Amino acid sequence: MAIPPEMLVLARHLLTYEAAEGEPAESIGARELRVYERLRSCVDAFAGAAAFHALASRALVLAMSRVPSLGAVRIAVDGSLQGPGELAPQIDTDRNEGNEDQADDGGVVLIAQLLGLLDVFLGESLAIRLLRDAWPSGTFDDSNAGNGRKA
Amino acid sequence: MRTPAKVAIRKLPTGIPGLDEIVGGGLPEFSFNIIAGAPGSGKTTLAHQFVFANATPERPALYFTVLGESAIKMLRYQQQYTFFDPAKLPHAIRFINLSQVVLEQDLGAVLEEITKAVEKASPAVVVVDSFRTMVRKPQSEMDLQSFVQRLALFLASWQATTFLIGEYAEEELRDNPIFTVADGLFWLRQTAERNSIVRKLQIIKLRGQASVPGLHTFRITDAGVQAFSRTFGLMGHLKNPPSHRRLSFGIPELDAMLGGGVREGDSVLIAGSSGTGKSVLATQFIAEGIREGEPGIVAVFEERPQAYAERATSLGLDLETPQKDGKLEILYLRPLDLSVDETMHAILDAVQKIDAKRLVIDSLAGFEMALSPGFRADFRESLYRMIFALTGIGVTILSTVEVDESFVEFPFSTYSISFLTDDIIRLRYVSIDGQLRKIMVVIKMRGGNHAKDIREYEITSKGVVILGNRLTAYQGLISGLPVHWDRSYAEEGPSDQPGIRTKSKRP
Repeated sequence: MAIPPEMLVLARHLLTYEAAEGEPAESIGARELRVYERLRSCVDAFAGAAAFHALASRALVLAMSRVPSLGAVRIAVDGSLQGPGELAPQIDTDRNEGNEDQADDGGVVLIAQLLGLLDVFLGESLAIRLLRDAWPSGTFDDSNAGNGRKA
Repeated sequence: MRTPAKVAIRKLPTGIPGLDEIVGGGLPEFSFNIIAGAPGSGKTTLAHQFVFANATPERPALYFTVLGESAIKMLRYQQQYTFFDPAKLPHAIRFINLSQVVLEQDLGAVLEEITKAVEKASPAVVVVDSFRTMVRKPQSEMDLQSFVQRLALFLASWQATTFLIGEYAEEELRDNPIFTVADGLFWLRQTAERNSIVRKLQIIKLRGQASVPGLHTFRITDAGVQAFSRTFGLMGHLKNPPSHRRLSFGIPELDAMLGGGVREGDSVLIAGSSGTGKSVLATQFIAEGIREGEPGIVAVFEERPQAYAERATSLGLDLETPQKDGKLEILYLRPLDLSVDETMHAILDAVQKIDAKRLVIDSLAGFEMALSPGFRADFRESLYRMIFALTGIGVTILSTVEVDESFVEFPFSTYSISFLTDDIIRLRYVSIDGQLRKIMVVIKMRGGNHAKDIREYEITSKGVVILGNRLTAYQGLISGLPVHWDRSYAEEGPSDQPGIRTKSKRP
């Protein structure tokens, strides 16, 4: 399933927020993991670990079709990631049909797919409210859906 | 010395149209309530409406989900309702999932989780959905009873109004300890009757205030649950003082037969077979009311409003202008699967909207047929409640009813509803001089004297026109097969017994 471009944009914005809050010399993939964990914490609180696990598993399968290296990642029963090193940025030379300016790393794609599923199931309005709760200092514009959500 | 004041229990709006009336003005604040019913009966939707109506960021609602419907799916579906305001999430309404605790730990741990969340948020409303799944694991009755009592005590002390939602069967009512602890018990039922679904709500228990007893119809629409009180929302309305005013039909001879017209606030029944002019009389009644400045409602079931208005035009009565002026509403009520209470609510809404003084129901047979089969059994009882409620606030109701013409009896209605009408006007065909003619007679007027005359009438381009004086030259008119009676011979002729008159057929 193709990733809606606005979800990729949103995922990158979330990573930007995390970059601002993280250590300057943090390990590769740490930002992606923090974004993922924030989303997990948010969804887990209102829907439970099982619900998050189901969503994350689906997102992972969808993301693997674009970033095959994500096949090494597993979703634990509590929804946490196992093998998160695979989230690190990497160039996927096999799949460049989107003509993106930059190849997406596994973490961005996984997060974008997860956001896409939240959008599908909860709708834009509730999904944005959930993100606002997870990133209180972030700015999310839900009045401009046509151009994607802006940070 | 001042008498110490009793505790005042604030009543919270339920957010469900019609339910405030049923529960006696609103839900008691800090009460501990159960919403019970089978799957699909509307329990979660009802709770959501209450939550959305009462939660604020300062006093939020905590909605604990347990095993059962996933919160994600619940939100996906619930946001389709118009009452769902996403702006209330996540600060005014917070969803908290307890599945893991329930699955892995005991009720003590569940109580601890709820306690922590409540102490942190100080919520005005707490919902546990579904409570039944939470306590489904085997445990002793004392554990469950102790858990429920501690939960109820804690939540009330923290000034939260609580709903526990559960799939319960009615046979569990007697033995389940949670029903004993609960302050309020709302039971939702959904049954299939022939091809119709009938939803009913019962307040089995509500501490601290009087609720309207019985089963109340409810419906789930895009707006959520809507309940229809058996009192039609007219409970507490001041009754109009008894009026001595008489309302005219616009037919002087008929008004005279009625002792000056229909008494305001009466329920009038016009009974007759097909084609006797029941609808014409009803139309004249409503048109005369409008002419006298009394707004009116016509509930039609057998023809569309446009056709009804056009027929009135053919009688020289203008029903188009008053509709445009907001003085008249013609309701066409042929919905599928509507309950009698819903139909009556539509009528009541229209009555209240234009402050109607006259209401025509044309006809009772059409009304009954418009209802889904499952509701027809309640028809008489509901009709009684509606007429009682409406006449109580001074609305004068005129209903038409078709009766089968009989030559051996003189029925007033096939519904045995004459007991709920104050006045009855009977129309019928008679065979006179080789013609099928029409007669009318006032059978009953509860509010006073009326003419006993049997009068002949015709339906003309001006409506019902009463002809001449009472028919004195015939006997057995109400049988439909009268005998011409030579009065002069009878009065002058011999009679073996006093009071018995001799009939004489005209050659």
